[in-house]
Amino acid sequence: MTDQPLTDAADTPARAALPDPAPPLRVGVIGTGGISRAHAPGWLGTGAELHAFSLEGASAFAEEFGAILHDTLEELLEAVDAVDVCTPTPSHPALVHAALDAGKDVVCEKPLALTEQECQGMIERAREVGRHLFPAHVVRFFPQYAAARRALDSGDLGQLGVLRFERTGAMPTQPWFADESQSGGIVMDQMIHDIDQAVWHAGAVSSVYARQHATEGAGEIRTAHVVLTHVGGAISHCRGLWGPAGTQFRYTFSLAGDRGRLDYDSARNTGVSWDEVASAAQASGDGFLPDISGMPSPYALEIREFTDVLRGRAPAARVAAEDGAYAVRVSRAAMESLATGRRIAC
Amino acid sequence: MLTANQLGGDARNDGARAARPLRIALMSCAHTHAAGYAGLLDAREDVDLVVADPDGFGDVRARRVVGSYQEAWDYYAEGPDAIVVTSANAHHRDLVLEAARRGVHVLCEKPLATTVADAESMVAACQEAGVVLMTAFPVHFSPQVAVLRDAVHGGTLGTVMGLTGTNNGMLPGGRDWFTDVDLSGGGALVDHTVHIAQILDSLLGEPETVHAVTNRILYADRAGEGAETGGLVTFTYPDGTITTIDCSWSQPADAPTWGGLRLQALGTGGQLEIDAFAERVEGFGQWHPYGADLDALLLDAFVGAVRAGKSAEPTGEVGLRTVRVVAAAQESVRTGQAVALTSV
Repeated sequence: MTDQPLTDAADTPARAALPDPAPPLRVGVIGTGGISRAHAPGWLGTGAELHAFSLEGASAFAEEFGAILHDTLEELLEAVDAVDVCTPTPSHPALVHAALDAGKDVVCEKPLALTEQECQGMIERAREVGRHLFPAHVVRFFPQYAAARRALDSGDLGQLGVLRFERTGAMPTQPWFADESQSGGIVMDQMIHDIDQAVWHAGAVSSVYARQHATEGAGEIRTAHVVLTHVGGAISHCRGLWGPAGTQFRYTFSLAGDRGRLDYDSARNTGVSWDEVASAAQASGDGFLPDISGMPSPYALEIREFTDVLRGRAPAARVAAEDGAYAVRVSRAAMESLATGRRIAC
Repeated sequence: MLTANQLGGDARNDGARAARPLRIALMSCAHTHAAGYAGLLDAREDVDLVVADPDGFGDVRARRVVGSYQEAWDYYAEGPDAIVVTSANAHHRDLVLEAARRGVHVLCEKPLATTVADAESMVAACQEAGVVLMTAFPVHFSPQVAVLRDAVHGGTLGTVMGLTGTNNGMLPGGRDWFTDVDLSGGGALVDHTVHIAQILDSLLGEPETVHAVTNRILYADRAGEGAETGGLVTFTYPDGTITTIDCSWSQPADAPTWGGLRLQALGTGGQLEIDAFAERVEGFGQWHPYGADLDALLLDAFVGAVRAGKSAEPTGEVGLRTVRVVAAAQESVRTGQAVALTSV
């Protein structure tokens, strides 16, 4: 049990009620779609005072999480210390700049932006105004991936040679995800998690080769394969799927080093399995986001770690804006490979 | 050459007149599969086996072991009906061409050859001589692989969009030639790509492009110079389907079994994963397989093909196609770009 300190699981209302010596952090959630609902309990768990502004769905969000609603972005920015940008990707840069210009610390859902240039502009601005910019690469906070990271840090696996990652979910129903000009497609939106993992574990990337296959029209599904060659010599394979309706969210990895190998599959190792009869009556996950029941919420861990930095209790989070920008850079190279059929230097 | 009749093919179903045993020579003990084949063939009542061990490995057990290829060719007065080629990869060609010249049927260990030209000449020679040439892909006979083939061909998965295959093993032990590129033709890319390439061939036909990256990090202290130990090979097909094979020798040396073979197929109708070596009883550090004996099924198919005088899957042709895929993968590693299969 030493792997999972009990305190990690304490993202509960009881914990939230503990007095915080400092006044509550006032956090403005911008955009109240799917990911904001994953983040909100994390913010509440740190004792933050939630504010929200959204073009759609804001009142339902405010009601569910007790957020203070604002009619305009300007009004929100005046009322908060930090913002959490949870909007569709194309709007990230403008909103992050607005928040930074207003002197706010920023958490921004991944990908930070659709282009590395925009990412760099955001990082530059954060530096100028002396505020934090955290990319919400939540997979680094999933306990499975964190455990793998600890194992790698311990040296037990030796030097990594071959890495594999899979991420499987249902085709998103929000139409902007399927529109590559809006989301960057499956590589930029979904696989970027595993690209970030590959970089986290095996370091910078020298070249990228990517292929994708999609069906047309209604009931579209999409799969992509990306092969990374790392500067240090390791090679990585990332396989993404936006599958048919009903596809269970699932993620796997295999990390082979010259002294050992780690394998993980979210469909196993959960400690819980329903038989066919029972599972018909048991909903587990919606296929769009991972089922995190039974584990400390990675979203809450992420928010807590960002909060600890904002509160001066920790020097840095495990993921920096530069990491978010690098993941976008590699994803862009993958998209260029998709377009040209060529392996792209990175 | 013996005809099916002379071999008693028609008599197989006639209990009163048993066919005479097939005379098979197992040529070379260089490949680690030689011992398994020899044991299975030697135990068959319908086969007379002679094993040639010209390198003197001395660890392949059979009732009749001779010290040279010539002795094996000459062991039976009328010569062997068939040979099983388990030499180092680079020596397959000469043995197979000699068999064709003598009108002798062949089961050749994979990869069929180390170059496309060699593989082409072997297929052509056997075709011309009218002898059976099969390539030893035992996993073709896996019941799990059969389920996958049926699901893809039968439309259970809808339109197949992509597959991922992993054939990971330890660095082959006991025979150093596996990582001597002059004898093996390469490392893990040569040794392990072809098994899944053959399965993919049976599912999707030939790919259009091949892309590969390799490295030499795993088992670097034991692999011969220039032999890659890690590899990722990506195929695209004319209809856009994408597949990737992880052919790495990434099974740790202290694992309880040699490795395994898995495939995952994704289609519009859902997903199917197979594990060709799932059937086992396992414990801490223990691994006791009980699944189908794939080598035995392969040898059954070969013996049947020889008696029928008609090749069966996996043929020499698919052996050649997988050699071409590996050659394209090696070319991709050299050029750093995807390679059109037609250019190889």
